[in-house]
Amino acid sequence: MNATATAISQDDFQKFQEYFYRKTGIRFEDSKRYFVDKRLLERIAATASNDFRNYFAMLRFEASGAEMQQLINLMTVNETYFFREEYQFECLVESILPEIVARKQHDGPIRIWTIPSSSGEEAYTIAMCLLERWSGIDRWDVEILSSDIDTNILVQARAGLYSARSVQHVPENYLAKYFRRTAKGFQLDDTLRNAVEFSRVNLQDATEVRPYRNFDVIFCRNLLIYFDDQSRKQAAETFFDALRPGGFMLLGHSESMSRMSALFQVRKFPEAIVYQRPGGGWV
Amino acid sequence: MSRILIVDDAATVRMYHREILESAGHGVDEAFNGMEALEKAFMIGYDLFLVDVNMPKLDGYAFLRELRSHGELPQAPAIMISTEAEAIDQNKAYEAGANLYLVKPTRPDVLLGYVRLLLGEPLQ
Amino acid sequence: MALVKVPTAKTAEIESRSEVRDLAGLQAKLADPDPGARRWAARDLAAHPAASAALLALVRTEEDVSVREVALSSLTRIGDEVAVAGLVDCLRSEDARLRNEAIEAMKSLPERVAPLMRGLLRDPDPDVRILAINVLESLRHADVELWLISVIESEPMATVCGAAVDLLTETGTPRSRDSLIRLTQRFPDEPYIQFAAGLALKRIATA
Repeated sequence: MNATATAISQDDFQKFQEYFYRKTGIRFEDSKRYFVDKRLLERIAATASNDFRNYFAMLRFEASGAEMQQLINLMTVNETYFFREEYQFECLVESILPEIVARKQHDGPIRIWTIPSSSGEEAYTIAMCLLERWSGIDRWDVEILSSDIDTNILVQARAGLYSARSVQHVPENYLAKYFRRTAKGFQLDDTLRNAVEFSRVNLQDATEVRPYRNFDVIFCRNLLIYFDDQSRKQAAETFFDALRPGGFMLLGHSESMSRMSALFQVRKFPEAIVYQRPGGGWV
Repeated sequence: MSRILIVDDAATVRMYHREILESAGHGVDEAFNGMEALEKAFMIGYDLFLVDVNMPKLDGYAFLRELRSHGELPQAPAIMISTEAEAIDQNKAYEAGANLYLVKPTRPDVLLGYVRLLLGEPLQ
Repeated sequence: MALVKVPTAKTAEIESRSEVRDLAGLQAKLADPDPGARRWAARDLAAHPAASAALLALVRTEEDVSVREVALSSLTRIGDEVAVAGLVDCLRSEDARLRNEAIEAMKSLPERVAPLMRGLLRDPDPDVRILAINVLESLRHADVELWLISVIESEPMATVCGAAVDLLTETGTPRSRDSLIRLTQRFPDEPYIQFAAGLALKRIATA
């Protein structure tokens, strides 16, 4: 019987580290050996690859990219909760929205799209931040649209019922103001539930995404990292078309446009690095 | 301690240059292409850039042009490293904003000499 | 003013395309002064294989990144002989941006590009040989390592050998061992070759 690998050599770790960095932009320092080795060994066993070399060859060339997806999933932290990566919401309120209103030339609302919606935490967090932290909310209308491919999760998102874990980073006063504690969990008030429109969309279906246009800000956090090179490029083009000229794109904190597309310009704000579609009369 | 950003899509080349520079006491960061280099340059004020030409998404020339024309990016000298030996390519590099030009494959002593020169350190 | 919610049906704006989207019409649109119009035309031409030549011509002269990217995506989707030959031709361009975009497009067309690889690895232009090696990085083909071995056995230029060895540090197997050793003997005074070949050999030994 062939024993499966029980350890990863330093050279194999380096090979893997270089490959993963090239593909995702995420670099695992040597201090992460335990974290990475454990997961690699897990996947080597799960795929019956026997050793790292076979596993790596399979990883690099699997047409479907399914194993790479699995691996990325394992290597990244995926929990969704309110106020996750909070600095991006700060950036929205402190830097992005002020710039948008400064050059706004139309009467319509400011439009924000967040995809994937998952169970709604991101969209509702945006809503809370706009109501509580953005002075401009008294002057400007904002439309928040949130989409996901999974209809079941959309039902959950619309319902607005959350676990204690999910709301652990919600400031106390927001929790008191916008949530009701019930036997089943934390129920979001109708004020916020009615502030967000949820829709079903498959980002990779050109026909389905075509009508999504004229957004000022798009949040697409921790989704594209799971796509292969072609799909990422495609998705970047989709988002480019979905944005108004000068519109902004935010990815997850360990994601970078540098692995996806040259369409966007890098913008540095005090709170975050974001990406901008060129144009819109803003240099 | 000086901080140098190596911009190259080839892992082995980055490793090679890293070893050379670290052995001479320089701090080193890496970027896979011009776009990642911009992102890093926004966060850290580098003392020097080592820039490859052929990279996906944003090549070396485009990176330098963006770096030099960007009001908010801290400026630093740049060595362009290329496979092309023609004079015309050197001019392109200087026009894009490189300070010096090296042809691959590089030699440690030459590279370190150029680095010392651009960092204003005395030549040994 | 506040948070407003608009039903999805209204929120999603449908783009009305009143003009005819046939081949001739679309190709004409490639010359439109508006980059948005050019981009939509380039995108819709993905459905027209006869458009390869027009898309290639656009890619060579187009300044707007968003138009070029879509044109390249369409060329990749069409992926016929004209498209692939055109992309290979882009490897010879003076324009670094175009060369690198062509490499990326070629990486998405492994079956089309594989038959051309041997020829490209022996191209008279050393930069084309290097760029061809870059394409090999994600080429799914049984002979990739053999091609790399033949490069390091017979390629005269150190820069090209360097590119091949870089790929072997990631994909090399014991099959490459002897050739890598011979390479170090061929270029005893090239520190990078010594370094890279040494690394590749080390990784092969511990695999």
